[in-house]
Amino acid sequence: MCHKYPKMGRVDDEGFQKAYYVIPEVFSKTVHRNVPCRDCHYYIKQLPHRPVKEGVRCDRECHSIENPSTGKPFSHKPIYDTFKKSVHGREKLETGLDNDKPYCITCHTNPLYNKEEEAPPKKITDRCVVCHEDEKFAFKWYNHTSRRIREVKRDTQDIIKLCSRCHADQELLARHKKDADDTGREIGEKYTIAAESYQNSFHGKVAKYGNKQVANCLSCHASPDNYYMSVHELRPSRDPLSPVNKNNRVKTCRQCHKTADANYAAIDPHPTDEKELNEFNYYAEIIYGIVGDTALALLVGLSLFETIGRKRDGIAWVLRNGTTWRGRSRRKRKSA
Amino acid sequence: MKLSNDANKVLGTFLRQYKIPTEDVNDLEEIVSMMPEDRKQIYKNVQSNPVGDLFRYSVHIRIQHLLTFTTFLLLAFTGLPIHYNDAFWAVPFNDLLGGVEVTRVIHRTLATWMVLSMVYHLFTVIGGTLQKMVEGKFDIGRSILPILKDARDFAADMAYFAGQRDNRPEMDKFMYKQKIHYFAAAFGNIVMVISGSSFLFPEFWNSILPPDIASHFQEMMRLSHPHEALLALLVIAFWHWYNVHLAPGRFPMQWTFLTGKLTREHQIEEHFLEYLRCLASLPEERSYLREVLVSKGLVSATKEIDARQNFLFDQHRQWIKEQTELGAQGDVLEDRQS
Repeated sequence: MCHKYPKMGRVDDEGFQKAYYVIPEVFSKTVHRNVPCRDCHYYIKQLPHRPVKEGVRCDRECHSIENPSTGKPFSHKPIYDTFKKSVHGREKLETGLDNDKPYCITCHTNPLYNKEEEAPPKKITDRCVVCHEDEKFAFKWYNHTSRRIREVKRDTQDIIKLCSRCHADQELLARHKKDADDTGREIGEKYTIAAESYQNSFHGKVAKYGNKQVANCLSCHASPDNYYMSVHELRPSRDPLSPVNKNNRVKTCRQCHKTADANYAAIDPHPTDEKELNEFNYYAEIIYGIVGDTALALLVGLSLFETIGRKRDGIAWVLRNGTTWRGRSRRKRKSA
Repeated sequence: MKLSNDANKVLGTFLRQYKIPTEDVNDLEEIVSMMPEDRKQIYKNVQSNPVGDLFRYSVHIRIQHLLTFTTFLLLAFTGLPIHYNDAFWAVPFNDLLGGVEVTRVIHRTLATWMVLSMVYHLFTVIGGTLQKMVEGKFDIGRSILPILKDARDFAADMAYFAGQRDNRPEMDKFMYKQKIHYFAAAFGNIVMVISGSSFLFPEFWNSILPPDIASHFQEMMRLSHPHEALLALLVIAFWHWYNVHLAPGRFPMQWTFLTGKLTREHQIEEHFLEYLRCLASLPEERSYLREVLVSKGLVSATKEIDARQNFLFDQHRQWIKEQTELGAQGDVLEDRQS
């Protein structure tokens, strides 16, 4: 109603301009186009409504949309409940540290149907309308199914960016680490360096170069058995059901590295040289540095020493007239 | 010149191994006794051709050096932008090659060439050594293998550089510095090949290693590859290029890697024992040196005394005599048997 007007908006208490305009032409091309506003914004009881403080909850039933498989009103509640049990799980209006955790709309937007999904090929709709008289139904059906049949996973770079929004936020990570330490809560030992160490791994480097096949965060941390379900129920590696739990790693690695065995699965995909996390790497790095610097210093020192010693006997820099020994010897001792 | 124990040993071995005939030995004996005790006087007065006078490296070694340095430098120039991919210079460099995926392919292709060059080198040195052994011409002191004398040479050379010694030690075909460099490069190559292959074939390496070592191995390799590459590049840039290009006497460059020849003054200064072998096998070098010593008035004042003290020539003549007699006896025996 009101939100179809472009100038719908206000300046909020903090002085920010807020636009409340919902562009009808755009919304009508989104996957939620058939869901009436109040199916999600259920707390709007009167119009004009009061300032909204609750926000959308994705576990509501859409009374206007029927789930064809159950005949009940459609809802995201099952996946919402799964998500709540995961390591990321939280309530909509969470406070405190849990407020840092993602909610549905942290990852999901209200995506648009793309051009190909919008325009079904005539050879398909022509066949549909033979039985399904309403052509609109055929179009909607095509929009819906073609989108889900096609792979709509985010690509590797987008997933890394998405996870890094929180897992590379040092302030957020420090907050949670401190809380875990204070309360004795178990937390992954690489929790604070997950994004950084991934970037330093082979996977991370190859991903940074734009490779789409390389393992991203979810390739390992989500279960290959049902990827789409699993990304909503991510578990810490200490959980026996986690794909990165030490008992499940071989299977996880084998998704890409077909001949991977227990040895292979022991390779650290989050390499670090921090002393507390990998003492071996920490000391190896130091020793390498010392050996390298010493070798170089000794060799350069030797070259200088040699030059001084030979210059003393009169060597010159350029071979000319058949000899380089053109200088006068400055040797004090008498030659034997 | 009265030959040192080392020189006696090296020259004696060479004369026997190459069966140098009596007339050459007589000539050699004379030229050696004419040489002044202070070897500096020799290499300071000889004439050298900048592109080299005396043969040193076969064409195989020169090809291997070309292959090694071209692949090494290109591997470094493609490997560094892969490792330091965030650096301001790495991005445009990778873009120039068509993106980092292309840089990686080039890097791996060059690595294959480097491995082939290593294999070629191993065939040459092992084959060459075996051939010399079969022919009875192998002398460990003339090879690149490190021996105790290298440590003595190193200490003596340091004393010379410090001004505590009048002459550099008498070093063989390969001096201590070259042996260090050769084995450092060999070690580096092996590290680079193993670590590089562990990135390319991690499943293979981890399947053959014990479980306790497997993960540490991969991490060690991940550290080793860039560290070793950087160290090698710096050693090449600061040490090898200094030694062959910038050091006085070598500037602007030693041509040995192209011509296979070393300048005379360099040979006498740093590889005196090899120079003695050259004198033994090259009559024209003996003539040249004789002329220089006489014309510059460098002939040793104690020539006669030195000649009497250099027993090896007499020993060799005696040995030839015995060999000839043995040969004659063999001929007689053969005649009787037939």
